[in-house]
Amino acid sequence: MNAGEGGSERTTLLQSGLEIRSRLVLEEGLSRIDAHTRSRLNQARQAAVTAAAGRSRLAWLRGAWLRQALMPATGATAAAALVAAFVLGGGGHQLTTQVADNPASTLDVLELVTDDDAMNLVEDYDSSFYEWAAAQTDAGGATT
Amino acid sequence: MGAFATLAPPYNMPATAGGDTLLNDTSEARARALNRFLAGIELKAYKIAQAGLRHEDDALDAVQDAMLQLARAYADRPEEEWKPLFYRILENRIRDMQRRRTVRGRVMAWLPFRRDEDDEDADPIAQAPSHEMPAVARLEIDEAMTALDAALEELPHRQRQAFLLRNLEGLDVAQTAQAMGCSEGSVKTHYFRALQSLRVKLGDFEQ
Repeated sequence: MNAGEGGSERTTLLQSGLEIRSRLVLEEGLSRIDAHTRSRLNQARQAAVTAAAGRSRLAWLRGAWLRQALMPATGATAAAALVAAFVLGGGGHQLTTQVADNPASTLDVLELVTDDDAMNLVEDYDSSFYEWAAAQTDAGGATT
Repeated sequence: MGAFATLAPPYNMPATAGGDTLLNDTSEARARALNRFLAGIELKAYKIAQAGLRHEDDALDAVQDAMLQLARAYADRPEEEWKPLFYRILENRIRDMQRRRTVRGRVMAWLPFRRDEDDEDADPIAQAPSHEMPAVARLEIDEAMTALDAALEELPHRQRQAFLLRNLEGLDVAQTAQAMGCSEGSVKTHYFRALQSLRVKLGDFEQ
């Protein structure tokens, strides 16, 4: 066993020596590569770097164009989805009855959904304020 | 026609705004990093390609193709992935060229008037070494280099690639496996066998 282990260690050392020596020789070989080959490698590298720079600019321009072109489409799709959800959801019944009474109300709802300002108003809706205001009005009406 | 000249572009591109500056900064930094990376590996890559192809022009073509493909397809990947990716591309390129050469050799063997491309006279200035060293040391290195080249040439392709990627390029086992498209166990086997063969062929090379 000991002889085997010793042999194994020796082999490892010998292999390490071989690896070190061959690496030195190979690196010396690299330093001897002629100027013509180095020049061609340099040209290849410059071409690759230029290609990478051109590719990244193209990708950025394509991304910018997509952002600009698809933003309105995305907004319209989201609005349509909201309308569909409203129709299919709880508000659907009310909407259909309203539509039956007044067909123009569909356009009002659509305008409400697609208009950013209107949506902001809906999002900022403060029910407690309106309840308080209604109570004040009722109270005022009762006193007058 | 004049009306077209007054039309605004459909979408305003922020070409000169801050986005462009950011683009320039990032792409320039990326280009610098890529240039630095390629400059660091180009000689070793050439040596590895030359060992696989045994032809200087083919080796240069293979390295150039690998550089371009890395730049076009993987330049936006993390820098630490570049080296195994590059050597994977180079390895595929070398194998493609070896296959093509085999096919071309079969075809050329049938042609009555063929010309050997290796018959071209080498340019003595281009072939001149790029540095000087003492004659004795140079001779010793020359002999070692010739012996190592010959021993490497006799190795099977996969063993030679494993040896050069690990020993010359310094890739670890995992990176070498990625570059060679095989398992880490295969890399260890190829490398071990390469070392064993080199020991037998080079004899006292390591002393």
